[in-house]
Amino acid sequence: MIQLKSLLNCIDNSGASVVECVNVLKKKRAATIGDRIVVVVQKQRAAGSEGTGTTLANKVRRGDIRHAVIVRVKKELQRVDGTVVRFGDNACVLVNKSGDPIGTRMNGACFESLSSRGPMARGIGKSLATEIATSSNADTFPGVVGQELRGKQWSKILSLAPVHV
Amino acid sequence: MAAVPTMRQLGCLRSLIKTPEVTQSQIGRRFISSAYSQRPERVPLPPNLPKQFLSQIPERMQPDNGPKPVKVYPPPPSTRAACKDPVASVTESQLSVLDPKGDRKALFDYRRNPRSVKPGDIVRVTFKNGDPFNGVVLSIKLRGIDTSFLLRNELTRVGVEMSVKVFNPNVQSVEIVQRAMRKPRRARLYYMRSRKHDRRSVENVVAAYIRQKKAFLGNAKR
Repeated sequence: MIQLKSLLNCIDNSGASVVECVNVLKKKRAATIGDRIVVVVQKQRAAGSEGTGTTLANKVRRGDIRHAVIVRVKKELQRVDGTVVRFGDNACVLVNKSGDPIGTRMNGACFESLSSRGPMARGIGKSLATEIATSSNADTFPGVVGQELRGKQWSKILSLAPVHV
Repeated sequence: MAAVPTMRQLGCLRSLIKTPEVTQSQIGRRFISSAYSQRPERVPLPPNLPKQFLSQIPERMQPDNGPKPVKVYPPPPSTRAACKDPVASVTESQLSVLDPKGDRKALFDYRRNPRSVKPGDIVRVTFKNGDPFNGVVLSIKLRGIDTSFLLRNELTRVGVEMSVKVFNPNVQSVEIVQRAMRKPRRARLYYMRSRKHDRRSVENVVAAYIRQKKAFLGNAKR
């Protein structure tokens, strides 16, 4: 349940660490996973703390207004098959106006990726890989909320998630 | 009115002649509110009144002007007789479709089956599409066909909880990875969400289990 003034963790390497929601887009109620919101960067990561930080300066600064996609929420989320998922925090990934992610990878990944995938997921993965040239790791499929993000056409963001297992 | 007695001597007798009815009627004229007169009886219409005269009588006096009888409908046939406990029968029919052998029911019936999954156990769920999810069982809700269990785990330092329906056809398998160290004193272990009691990640336990399982299965094949 993300709404005006909600603080979220930003989990990509765009340079923001904490952002504040200032608007929920295309919706008249609280936002949830996969929804697009407008945020203000409240805290930025210390530059150079990351391994790639030397070459990649912070792309956003404190006070910047950006769009973001929510990837984790504390409010439980029910799927059509009755499964309910709930996370320990609220998190998002910054995107630009056209919907492409600003960062190149997710730092604290929220997803559990799959070791064995069904044929359908594999097919989507291939089409994704051709679609997104910028993504470093297009063949990962997070399991926990991947379904929601994919359902809302955010496969681009899914492709940023690192592989576990 | 009354004549002077000296002029007409017999006039004094008039008061005696007066009937009590007349006196009463006088009282009645003075105090209308206290007068009681019986309601005039309704004069019945002549029995063989020709039909063409009926239209001349006011409507309220027409012979068939009285209140019409209210039609009372009989209640619909009760469905209770057909099915005493519809919820139970639906549950049963659903169970016969989703869990014909009763394995899943037995696996989570922790009140009766001592070998079932219990709160505090570490469990690995595999879905039909291949996603696994591991976690500590916080609670098992026994609700007939809606029976579900709540798993808690930590992925990359973020707590994740997942509630899964036991009879969900998308669930391929549920494996007990590790039993609770000792029997928890509660049926619902929601206190494990607090930082003090949090079990944190169970991934290493599950990884060890999978390694062991693979080794075991490999030996069996040889």
